Amino acid sequence: MSTGVTDEIRGTFAAIADVLIPEAEGMPSATQVGVHEDLLDRILGLRPDLREDFIRGIKSVVGEKPHAAAERLNKEDPAALGTIGLIASAGYYITPQVRELIGYPGQENRPADPDEDPEYVTNGMLQVVIDRGPIYVPTAKR
Amino acid sequence: MGAATEILRAEDVFLMAKVKPSADVAEVLIIGAGASGSVAAKELAENGFQVVCLEQGPRVDNGEFWGDKPEWELMSQKRWHPNPNVRDLENDYPINTDESDVNPLMYNAVGGSTILYAAHWQRFMPSDFRVKTLDGVADDWPFTYEDLEPFYDRMDVEMGVSGLAGDPAYPPMTEFPLPPLPIGKIGMKAAEGMNKLGWHWWPGPCAIPSRPYRGRNQCVRRGTCLTGCADRAKASTDHTHWPIALENGAKLITGARVREITINDDGLADGAIYIDRAGREHRQRAQIVIVCGNGIGTPRLLLLSKSNRFPDGLANSSGLVGKNLMMHPYAAVTGHFDEPLESWLGPAGQTIQSMEFYETDASRGFVRGAKWQVMPSGGPLGMRAAYGGKPLEEAWGANLHRNTRKVFGRSFEWGIIAEDLPNEDNRVILDSALTDSDGIPSPKIIYKNSENTEKMIAFHLERVQEAMAAAGAVDMVVTPLMRDCGWHLMGTCRMGDDPKRSVVDQWGRAHDVPNLYVYDGSVFVTSSGFNPTGTITAVALRAVTHMIENKKDLKVAT
Repeated sequence: MSTGVTDEIRGTFAAIADVLIPEAEGMPSATQVGVHEDLLDRILGLRPDLREDFIRGIKSVVGEKPHAAAERLNKEDPAALGTIGLIASAGYYITPQVRELIGYPGQENRPADPDEDPEYVTNGMLQVVIDRGPIYVPTAKR
Repeated sequence: MGAATEILRAEDVFLMAKVKPSADVAEVLIIGAGASGSVAAKELAENGFQVVCLEQGPRVDNGEFWGDKPEWELMSQKRWHPNPNVRDLENDYPINTDESDVNPLMYNAVGGSTILYAAHWQRFMPSDFRVKTLDGVADDWPFTYEDLEPFYDRMDVEMGVSGLAGDPAYPPMTEFPLPPLPIGKIGMKAAEGMNKLGWHWWPGPCAIPSRPYRGRNQCVRRGTCLTGCADRAKASTDHTHWPIALENGAKLITGARVREITINDDGLADGAIYIDRAGREHRQRAQIVIVCGNGIGTPRLLLLSKSNRFPDGLANSSGLVGKNLMMHPYAAVTGHFDEPLESWLGPAGQTIQSMEFYETDASRGFVRGAKWQVMPSGGPLGMRAAYGGKPLEEAWGANLHRNTRKVFGRSFEWGIIAEDLPNEDNRVILDSALTDSDGIPSPKIIYKNSENTEKMIAFHLERVQEAMAAAGAVDMVVTPLMRDCGWHLMGTCRMGDDPKRSVVDQWGRAHDVPNLYVYDGSVFVTSSGFNPTGTITAVALRAVTHMIENKKDLKVAT
């Protein structure tokens, strides 16, 4: 999918993405999982509404040192930094490697057995609520 | 109306194959194919009425949802966002919210907002119908909980509600058709806290099937209910009601945006003018018109339908069309725990609920109360939303990893649905400049929280934090008012016996126009503190049952 992102834009995004999501705390950096590669194009393809803020923000800091660029955007164009951060973090948390590291299997297909008695019934937790009796205010029926 | 077939999309051609040979004049025209319109269409078609329904949105295929795909959270923030101003789709109409504390939420399609709702299937309490008598505020409803109870029962079956009977917050009620959904680790954790405090909790009823039910699949707990159920489990009325309505000859026209309800010389509603997605105008004639456009769309349409006879908008001699908007301000506390809770796991949906502080206690300094519910906290991306605008090092960098490790999968939300009382200053009007894609004036919302509401929210936030602490939360984030929370749109065409103080009677019939009806949440007299779709549909079912039973006496346009 071609989204027309130039090498300069991609490279600048990669550097800022690694400021936002660095290699730390046992986690890989953004570029180590490829957020600036196909993931970037995939996200811009799915969310074309992000493109304007993204391109504006990145173009405004081309050539700057990444950390200073991120700091400046956060102060002067928070919408752009928010979009850049969204694209970086969306790509990051989509990757199987990151999901495994944070213990997230994704939104799972894990149906429950409807015939199994709930634990809160078998262990008596709910019974104490029942035993306290009704709490509603009755009214005239008609 | 020969042009109707011209506007039908591919899916509509399929639907047309099952339509009875139609006359130019519908016996009943329903405007809006959401929750109440779906119930009305099914019931009327099953009972032999010739029904035409105009819906401005499309039919949605469950394959369009992203819940079963890795990009789910990314797409939830735009294409499947509940705020129409964020989605910005052609089938939505923009809403001016500059003067509102809360953004109204909805979805415009066959099934309406049930496409994106969380399917918390609640009944109002008996006291909700008697707030004037009990608390001296607002007005009593023109009927009681007991009058509505049989229709609640029927709707439970039609939707396939999963739940556990015996909740002491309610009068005794019939068993739900399906066993309760699991409450998961988050529900258990919250319940443990409530038991320590001696406070009420109960597994929350949901219109989500815990086992296969009437053509829908068993819930797989994916937890993406609020962005559409990719697994075709959740009870949205495009699945629960429209197939039956269509099988019985109802005609559904999608992409049909109504701009005006027309009136004949006798002052009766005789049809509607609508615009198709190619921009062409059509007229659908009808003997009876039922408006089901939700608490914003319905008053918008009535206000648009001005004429010499109704210069202030249709059915608006009381001046109350659009007034008394209630949207349920929503507050929440998210608790973080030092143990894994699998808090992305559904349903979402609700796990447990509490009505411990629902009924009025004058010593608290406000009247009425709120329902609480526990919901899962979703995936890692959604959690990032709270960090917008914060210093770089706080929101990003190594802190991002630390925060994710600390809270992700270890958090849940106690949400608070605060009852907002009717106030004529909270209202829907027509915007003077903003229009939809067809050039029709958009609604503008004017809505402010009252002092009673603010005191109520403050009280409940304090109690919820106590509940979180009792459950063992090590940290909490308090959200005093969630701006994108206006799911529940009510009150803008209120019902009552007095034509000077209400727009419609208890059967949804307009006092001013005897063949014009409103069946959606607009008719609510008060809002309760509950998710309203169960009551919207029960009220609609009660009204349409009355219409069917009194068919011979109905006033119709000829």
